Amino acid sequence: MASATVIEISSLSKTYGSGSQQTAALRNLNLSVNQGEIFGYLGPNGAGKTTTIRMLLDLIRPSSGSASIFGMDVRDHSVEIHKRVGFLPGELSLWEGRTGQQIIHYVASVRGDTKGITKQADELAKRLQLDTSKRVRDLSSGNKRKLGLVLAMMHSPDLLILDEPTNGLDPLVQQTFHEMMDEFRDKGKTVFLSSHILSEVQAICDRAGILRDGDLKAVESIEKLMNVEFHWVDVQFRDVVPEGLARQLQQASAISHVDVNGSRVKMRLVGDFDPLLRMLGDGYVKDLRVEEPSLEEIFLAYYSDGTEVR
Amino acid sequence: MIGSVFLETYKQTWKQMVYWGGGLAAMALMVVLMVPLFDMQDIKDLLQTFPPIILAMVGIGKELEIFATNEGFVAMGFFGKSALIFAVYPVVMGMRITANEEDAGTMDLLLSLPVQRARVIVEKFLAYSVSIVGVVLLIYLGMQIGVSIAGIDLDVARLAEVTFYLIPMMVFIMAVTVLIAVIVRRRSVALGIVTAFVIASYMLQAIGAVAEGTVAEPIGSISFLTYYNAGDILTQGFIWPHIAGFLVVSALLLLASLYQYERRDIAV
Repeated sequence: MASATVIEISSLSKTYGSGSQQTAALRNLNLSVNQGEIFGYLGPNGAGKTTTIRMLLDLIRPSSGSASIFGMDVRDHSVEIHKRVGFLPGELSLWEGRTGQQIIHYVASVRGDTKGITKQADELAKRLQLDTSKRVRDLSSGNKRKLGLVLAMMHSPDLLILDEPTNGLDPLVQQTFHEMMDEFRDKGKTVFLSSHILSEVQAICDRAGILRDGDLKAVESIEKLMNVEFHWVDVQFRDVVPEGLARQLQQASAISHVDVNGSRVKMRLVGDFDPLLRMLGDGYVKDLRVEEPSLEEIFLAYYSDGTEVR
Repeated sequence: MIGSVFLETYKQTWKQMVYWGGGLAAMALMVVLMVPLFDMQDIKDLLQTFPPIILAMVGIGKELEIFATNEGFVAMGFFGKSALIFAVYPVVMGMRITANEEDAGTMDLLLSLPVQRARVIVEKFLAYSVSIVGVVLLIYLGMQIGVSIAGIDLDVARLAEVTFYLIPMMVFIMAVTVLIAVIVRRRSVALGIVTAFVIASYMLQAIGAVAEGTVAEPIGSISFLTYYNAGDILTQGFIWPHIAGFLVVSALLLLASLYQYERRDIAV
């Protein structure tokens, strides 16, 4: 069960540029992440996720506010903190002319334990099916990502900070990654994971924060976010839309945004599909398409008028 | 672990050191092999016909006598005209300390490890300084091979002094580059400023040399190249105050770089 606070962020802001060119990348962020939880940091590109992560790692300095990890200020104790943190950047850049093995050795030597860390790295590489003998420039983007994961996890950190970790990973490796995260959590360790993919956060996270235009709009448990989940449904009938169906759909509490156009009807469905399928019973359905909502839509649905959708 | 950034930097650099050192050594070898082809008195007579500005631009001051010797010919033919070439290597290496790593994005990963920013800069600076020593050693080796092949009478000790005098000057150029890269952040802008600095120094030295004896003479003293003068070294040997000056200013520039880098955001 979650207990001690691992990450504590207080009134953290970051502004880039000066004068009329000033842009607020992050505004007054307050957030806590507890030990033993996988926290999803959700938001579209440019929302401020990477800015937050770079401030937590002391790569950039806040315009105001503060952050601490393991109870230590991220600026004053960066070296001590980094000993216990593993980091995977969103845009992973590695030394192109070096092999995976050489980079692992380099990072391990900076961490000060070449032997133990390298052994752990070999095991991780094996599990992720990564050939570390190749030069970075010869690796695919997916394999570079795997190498990044190995580098982040090989010293058994207490906290993992992962920026868009599954970018470029194939579905099988994504599955392995999810298992690894579960195991990590089971050991009482903490993960701070940024993503713009809702399904990924749903699959592995305990809680999620939603960031938009530099503002943290909400922090919710995944369970709650799942409740608000809806789908866009597009039904194509062979003939015209059956008479009365539109009215029936509009009256259904789980259905909204009904749009009838000739033989086609579009709608937004919250919850199970069964009630809708029963309503469609009279017509001959030629095609039925279901589309997942974007993160933005989920966000809007959850927080429109300050009330939940259901 | 202390020294890990130094070792990795050196591993990533030794090939470039060999290429640069090899190229410059080949140039030095060719200049030495040309010595027997010329009558040094003819060279002196020829030089006397040149306008002072031209002589100043190839690093020759009023001491024409010294350039009418074998050592002087090598100094003029290699060290004099190559002043700008010697500046390229330390600029390239200086850019690698922070600017290239930030530009490539590898600095984020490196600084997410338990290592201070200052340690990264210092260890990289030392590794590239060692590579500068390597380049200079290769230049000296090329010159020695030339002397053996040409079988000429050459004061090797004096040429060694001219050669190894390059080290503090190149370290100084690298220190200037690091500071500019740390202040400016953007790699292309930093490179432009450093290039302008080196070329301006070259021009100021030439103006100062031509304006000797006039009120404009002190202009030359602003240029760092004034403190690397092959003719002076050939006549006086190591000029220790100049060497100490290069090293002390380099250390101060490095300290200023550490101070500034500690306070700014890492670029992406």
